[in-house]
Amino acid sequence: MNQEQRHANDIFKDFRVQSVSEFFRKNAAMLGYTGKIRSLTTLIHEGVTNALDACEDARILPDIKVEIEELGTEHYRITVEDNASGIPLSFIPEVFGRMLAGSKAHRNIQSRGQQGIGISGAVMYSQVTTGRPSIVLTSTGDSPIVKCDVQIDVEHNIGRVIHKKKRVNKENWRGTKLIFEVKEVLYNKSRYSPYNYLRMTSISNPHARITFVEPDGTKIIFDRSIDTVPKSPKETKPHPKGITPHDLLLMARYTDKRTISSFLLHDFVRISSARTKDIEKMSSLSLNKHPKKMTWKEAESLVKAFKAIKFVAPPTDGLIPIGDESIKKGMEVISPEFSYSVTRSALTYKGGIPFIVEVGVAYGGNHTSSNGMDIIRYANRAPLIFDQGGCAITEAVNSVDWKRYGVRDDDKSPLTVFVNLVSTHIPYTSAGKQAVAQEEEIYSEIRNGIMDAGRSLKSFLRGKRRAHEKRKKMDTLRKYAPETASALGGLLKMKNSSKVEEKLYTIIGKKYGEKA
Amino acid sequence: MNEVTEKLEQFGLSVYEQINKERSPFLKIPQRGLSNVSFDEKNRMLSLGNKASKRYYLNVAHTRKFMQTILVASYCRRLVEEGRHAGIRELYYALKHSISGTRENTFDDQTESNAITEDIEVSLDLLREQLNLTADRRGYLYGDVLIKDGEDEFNASKLGRGGWAVPGTVEDIEFPEVDAEYMLVVETAAMADRLIEEKFAQKNGALIVACQGQAPRGVRRLIQRLHFENKLPVIVFTDGDPYGWYIYSTIKQGSMNLAYLSKRLSVPDAVFVGMTMKDIEVYSLKSVTERLKATDKSRIKELKSYEWFKHKKWQKELDLCLKLGVRIEQQALANKSLEFVAKEYLPEKIEHKNFLP
Repeated sequence: MNQEQRHANDIFKDFRVQSVSEFFRKNAAMLGYTGKIRSLTTLIHEGVTNALDACEDARILPDIKVEIEELGTEHYRITVEDNASGIPLSFIPEVFGRMLAGSKAHRNIQSRGQQGIGISGAVMYSQVTTGRPSIVLTSTGDSPIVKCDVQIDVEHNIGRVIHKKKRVNKENWRGTKLIFEVKEVLYNKSRYSPYNYLRMTSISNPHARITFVEPDGTKIIFDRSIDTVPKSPKETKPHPKGITPHDLLLMARYTDKRTISSFLLHDFVRISSARTKDIEKMSSLSLNKHPKKMTWKEAESLVKAFKAIKFVAPPTDGLIPIGDESIKKGMEVISPEFSYSVTRSALTYKGGIPFIVEVGVAYGGNHTSSNGMDIIRYANRAPLIFDQGGCAITEAVNSVDWKRYGVRDDDKSPLTVFVNLVSTHIPYTSAGKQAVAQEEEIYSEIRNGIMDAGRSLKSFLRGKRRAHEKRKKMDTLRKYAPETASALGGLLKMKNSSKVEEKLYTIIGKKYGEKA
Repeated sequence: MNEVTEKLEQFGLSVYEQINKERSPFLKIPQRGLSNVSFDEKNRMLSLGNKASKRYYLNVAHTRKFMQTILVASYCRRLVEEGRHAGIRELYYALKHSISGTRENTFDDQTESNAITEDIEVSLDLLREQLNLTADRRGYLYGDVLIKDGEDEFNASKLGRGGWAVPGTVEDIEFPEVDAEYMLVVETAAMADRLIEEKFAQKNGALIVACQGQAPRGVRRLIQRLHFENKLPVIVFTDGDPYGWYIYSTIKQGSMNLAYLSKRLSVPDAVFVGMTMKDIEVYSLKSVTERLKATDKSRIKELKSYEWFKHKKWQKELDLCLKLGVRIEQQALANKSLEFVAKEYLPEKIEHKNFLP
């Protein structure tokens, strides 16, 4: 060893706490910023998700405009505008500048975003690639329009408003418009493109109107097919089965209850006083203790007790599925020949996390992939575009024996399979949130949903095949009509056999229930 | 309008009426398969039953044949009205063309048009000859018979070794003078040639008819006419195998395909001289037999099941053939000597009436 041993002080002199923002700046890939095409789509995703959530909170029918302008090679300006309630000035840095600061983090509620990294990640990605701040315009409709530049202080995980201007809001514009520039990304129209992302978003959000302007100026409107705002998800108390010691400690710290038993009784669902006694017995802890004084060890033994005890399944009214009718409406974007959708009943995974699976199957229409089945995946209505291979949804769809449902050649059938997983907590495989982890309950429920839809697809395909055969038979009969007519004309020495031919067509049409 | 055009016109009109009333058009065609053929004990010949099938235009399995039937009927009417004759192969080529808008032909091969022609014959109860269609001809006649064919008159024993080639239609032929005691119908041309060379006809007072395989209609009609008009007995000489025996059977009691013409084509009194299984033993021909193939065996079993092969002697013959597992050709007799067949085999068997019924 020619290197000297190092003292701890020496090693730790460079050590400093890394802020969350800094961590993600270095690990942008985890957020979905990998590859030029994917990064652009992720940016759009964050903007649109933010806009849809804002509209949902405000109970407003979303009217979202997305524009991508090409400023140079791999250099674009992105504008995302919504018609939601607008953001009060004081919250702008919080909303756009700080990681893990979303209004939904640490709440047990179904939402598109979850970790509160999304939109601030987009602001940061823009900042990292162009060195420029993002521009936010917002108004609550009855207030002036605020325009400000937002920047993230990466080191301190704080959003900073650099410039801000107010101007009179004559037109009573309400909403938020986010403009940011970005480099090292690429626009195209592949499966992974913003176009496909928006199309998928429109399918799962039939109440939203999304206007998209492409870099070449093409304007595409994904119009709404439903005029009602979907129900907002409710925040629900957690179920003991879905809890970890860490969650438990966190909740214990914020509770206003004075004993653990009261805390368990009030801050959870499905824990009755009888169950608290069971928990007490099982964990051999005194539940009279103040929750704030709970130790890690105690939290662990409580969770252990939760696992061993049977609880009523959690209520599912916190989950808001799209609904089978709305999925059907949404799939009209593809204009399929056939579509079927089903919203399954709520179930739980990991013993207590409620989820609902929704499945839609569409046949024909402007089916995107030229070769084979198109699987479109959603988590809480948000499209999952990347990491298709490693996703439990894909695996569940592929595990189904499609031949049983009359799909003869699933490599060539124009099938679109829609799956939306609704849950207060989607088990993503990574922070990029593009693939659902293999949870046995979820996997088999997706299969059940597909089988539901498959039965209906089967009878449609059977009918279609029958219609096809009918068509073929009819063509055969029609094929011989002119020859037969002219031969008969010859046999009977008629001057003109076209009447016979017409009559033959009429007879053929009558047989197959068609007007000649 | 003669009877033939009248029938063709009616045939077309019935289809036209159905189409005009927008009903599903169909043609009624007597069935020609085994299921509609039976052995008429009284007349000792095959006869066609009255089962008919309907050929529907609207049945995709029938449509093509429906069209073909009308096409052939229409062509026949033209032939009859123009007083022209066409061979069935000519008819095939005359009507073969691609169906407009497709790559499909009206007829793919001649078997299709042949079958349709037979359909029309049966349906309208008309002979092919009446439709001015001539069959492919085969077969010849040799012997002392005066033949009058239109302007020409000649003796069939003065035409050289080739004899007189039998035309497809023999309806107009006349036989002013016949000097023979019987007719010998021979399966192969080679054997007929042998007999002619050996002067068999002259020495035995026979008319030799070579049918060259399954006897064509012209030959069958010729045999039938000479038998009934000139009281000539008919003796048939074929190979000793199921095909030879079936040639005999066709001459004697008609064929399934042309069962509706049996009365005009068959000779119930015809007898069979050979080859038989017994000949193998009697003339020690074992060394010149050939083994039966699987198809031969199954054909023998088929023959056994036919109503008109139920005669004890024939059942015995067929059983023996299966038992020996061999067949014997006419020309195997050359094993004895070339002239053996003409000098010994046939004269002996015929003299002793050593026949199968």
